[in-house]
Amino acid sequence: MTTWDNAQRLRESRKRAGAPYAQGKRVAKKDATALLEAVIRPGDRVCLEGDNQKQADLLATALAAVNREKIHDLHMVQSGVVLPEHLDLFELGIARRLDYAYSGPQSQRIAKLLFGGKIELGAVHTYLELFARYYVDLTPQVALIVAVSADREGNLYTGPNTEDTPAIVEATAFKDGIVIAQVNEIVDKVPRVDIPGDWVDFVIESDKPFYVEPLFTRDPGAITETQILTAMLAIKGIYAPYGVQRLNHGIGFNTAAIELLLPTYGERLGLKGKVASHWALNPHPTLIPAIESGWVKQVHSFGSEVGMDDYIRARPDVFFTGPDGSLRSNRAFSQVAGLYACDMFIGSTLQIDLQGNSSTVTADRVAGFGGAPNMGSDARGRRHPSQPWLQAGKEADPDSPAALRRGRKLVVQIGETFGDKNVPLFVENLDALKLATKLKLDLAPVMVYGDDVTHIVTEEGIANLLLCRNNDEREHAIRGVAGYTDVGRGRDRKLVQQLRERGVIRRPEDLGIDPLDADRRLLAARSIKDLVRWSGDLYAPPSKFRNW
Amino acid sequence: MIAVVSETSKDHDDASVSTSSWYEASARQRVEHLLDANSFNEFIGPEWRETSPHLPLFDLPEQFDDGMIVGYGRLGGKPVLVAAQEGRFMGGAFGEIHGAKLTGLLRAARDMASVPVLILFDTGGVRLQEANAGELAIAEIMRALIEARLVGVPVVGLVGGRAGCYGGGGLIAGCCSALAVSEQGRISVSGPEVIETNRGVEEFDSKDRALVWRTMGGKHRRLIGGAEVFADDTMASFRDAARYLIEHAPSMSLSTLESEQSRLAQRIERFGHCSDAVDIWRSLGAAEPENLPALHYREFAALANDLQEPRHDAR
Repeated sequence: MTTWDNAQRLRESRKRAGAPYAQGKRVAKKDATALLEAVIRPGDRVCLEGDNQKQADLLATALAAVNREKIHDLHMVQSGVVLPEHLDLFELGIARRLDYAYSGPQSQRIAKLLFGGKIELGAVHTYLELFARYYVDLTPQVALIVAVSADREGNLYTGPNTEDTPAIVEATAFKDGIVIAQVNEIVDKVPRVDIPGDWVDFVIESDKPFYVEPLFTRDPGAITETQILTAMLAIKGIYAPYGVQRLNHGIGFNTAAIELLLPTYGERLGLKGKVASHWALNPHPTLIPAIESGWVKQVHSFGSEVGMDDYIRARPDVFFTGPDGSLRSNRAFSQVAGLYACDMFIGSTLQIDLQGNSSTVTADRVAGFGGAPNMGSDARGRRHPSQPWLQAGKEADPDSPAALRRGRKLVVQIGETFGDKNVPLFVENLDALKLATKLKLDLAPVMVYGDDVTHIVTEEGIANLLLCRNNDEREHAIRGVAGYTDVGRGRDRKLVQQLRERGVIRRPEDLGIDPLDADRRLLAARSIKDLVRWSGDLYAPPSKFRNW
Repeated sequence: MIAVVSETSKDHDDASVSTSSWYEASARQRVEHLLDANSFNEFIGPEWRETSPHLPLFDLPEQFDDGMIVGYGRLGGKPVLVAAQEGRFMGGAFGEIHGAKLTGLLRAARDMASVPVLILFDTGGVRLQEANAGELAIAEIMRALIEARLVGVPVVGLVGGRAGCYGGGGLIAGCCSALAVSEQGRISVSGPEVIETNRGVEEFDSKDRALVWRTMGGKHRRLIGGAEVFADDTMASFRDAARYLIEHAPSMSLSTLESEQSRLAQRIERFGHCSDAVDIWRSLGAAEPENLPALHYREFAALANDLQEPRHDAR
């Protein structure tokens, strides 16, 4: 006879196995590993929460300490492989299979474990894609999550770093999984309920606050004049003519420079109120001057940023805050916003090839994707019009009837022709291809596909790929802004000149920009301290960014 | 044999001079805005191409002024000799030519015996590629500096650049008649990375920038008497500080050294047990020492004057 409640009964037996370690839902920190050994079964799909920002670090340590005779062959389905413990699980044989999205600091070690066969790789995803699979074929059986505080019923307050938690818990709790939360403290009443208590099975109080990486803080002191030039080109050559109001920025220094030029250079161009008003963006400290100058109407965030909490609390008209006054972020919704409701993504990358494909993978590092491919791609399901979207669509396909023409999201890659340590940005072939061969992957890890890219900005100018009519033009539009890299020197001068005459390539002088004007004095803030001043002393930068 | 350099810069109007950042500026911009307008004359300017003989051996780029600008000009109408290090070239490090230019300037000051010297420090110390030549340069500079001071020449150091004032630069600063430092400025001998490398991250975490600044930064140096004047990070503030310190520079004699020795002994007695700069500030009587790094220029300058009168000579 068919039974229809196997998963429910399994869930009840897991809860019973964990019960001896709990008083109500509360489990002592010292019993964390014993609880996990009781609740988790070999071969389970487990989500250990962590992304490019917050980390369930206590639970990561506890899981890495389980007896591998009892718990083994786990299938980890999680946003980030970031903490050393995340990879220890594979070295120790506790976990075997991995589906993930992002691995910043562990990119080198994860590559080694992949080469060594210690990790059986499912796929590298974007955040949104992995969340989607939580609801289809990668639903966690156990989720190990992190929040700021819990009450006795297990109601969770995530604080400003809500991030992935709602997406993980929704999938796990409603498909008969077990949810275990680490919290900084247990309180009588949580400031607001981010996760209802009846979705949470066990709560462990940590003895120190969970780790959050200040990934989105860029020190204005490190912005170069070349980056300022690329930012001027982007503002005058893309933001202004398309009238881009809804957008997302990457985390690089070029886009930080744009944020810091809005109140100075942007103001001078008369763009205030006309561009960059609505954002899907983490609370970048470098956005403070633009916010304070009245440029920014609204910001929805994937996560928070270390040190920005008091500032955000004091600017509720701009940010999404809860009834308690603090930020409520949400990675899944902000990714959706970036995909469907933004007209532009602009970000930097490490390599761009002749087709415009870009990647941050190098031969011995597997950094993952995070959210960039989702931000940096055209949403084929989008149906609502907007001026920049329609204009980009028209440039790409001028001959189709307007009412049947798709718009296009502006996907802009920005960088210097020679990046960090004088490594060329432009290459004949992406290192991602070498990696794919080495690991026998079906797909090379491409961050942004060439057919999604609309513009490339370097100090040599802007290439508008929407206006290219064939592969040869596209290749030369790219070579034409690739400077003195090998790719740039491989250009056909005549063809590049023709492209420039058609406005496919635009040099700084074509836009009326004098490169000598690209001066650090143009930045609204030139140091972290300046940002603190702009914020009215509300921004409290972490120690590693202070020079006072 | 004097090369006259006429620098043209588009922001030489008064408003931008008073607000532009010392920390951000190049060595040439600092010299230009520190001195009276159009008064600077450079010795051995870049057109002489006196470049380092050592750097090409390492296939490293040279700079025509070797990162050191020396010359004379006027400050408030009075003549001064000036040396400025370019922190953006080799971290402002001392090499053979770089050092020789400063030695020469100080010897000229000694011989003239009447014109004060300003040293605009911005250095990580000795250039490793020129190890011995650089170390010798530091020794020669210190000797020349003391000789100049002994004949009554005030030698004033200004510290507020990106590279700070480290290594041999810290030693030379210690020989000056007086120092002005901004919040961004750092003065020390061993740098944070050097300490961490030799003594471990538990001893000193060089990545903890707040720790670096509260241990070596301008505010702390001002509070423990390591610098006489706390300057704001503007051209105008450093200009005011330079004029003030030239007027008030102490003389140099055996008794100066003796009183310096006793002040240093008092300092170690008073603060030797402290394990962090915050402890020192607390024992100096600061009400909320942990908030001190966040104070703005004016608040801090006032507080520093309340807590401790500047005590020259003991750095």
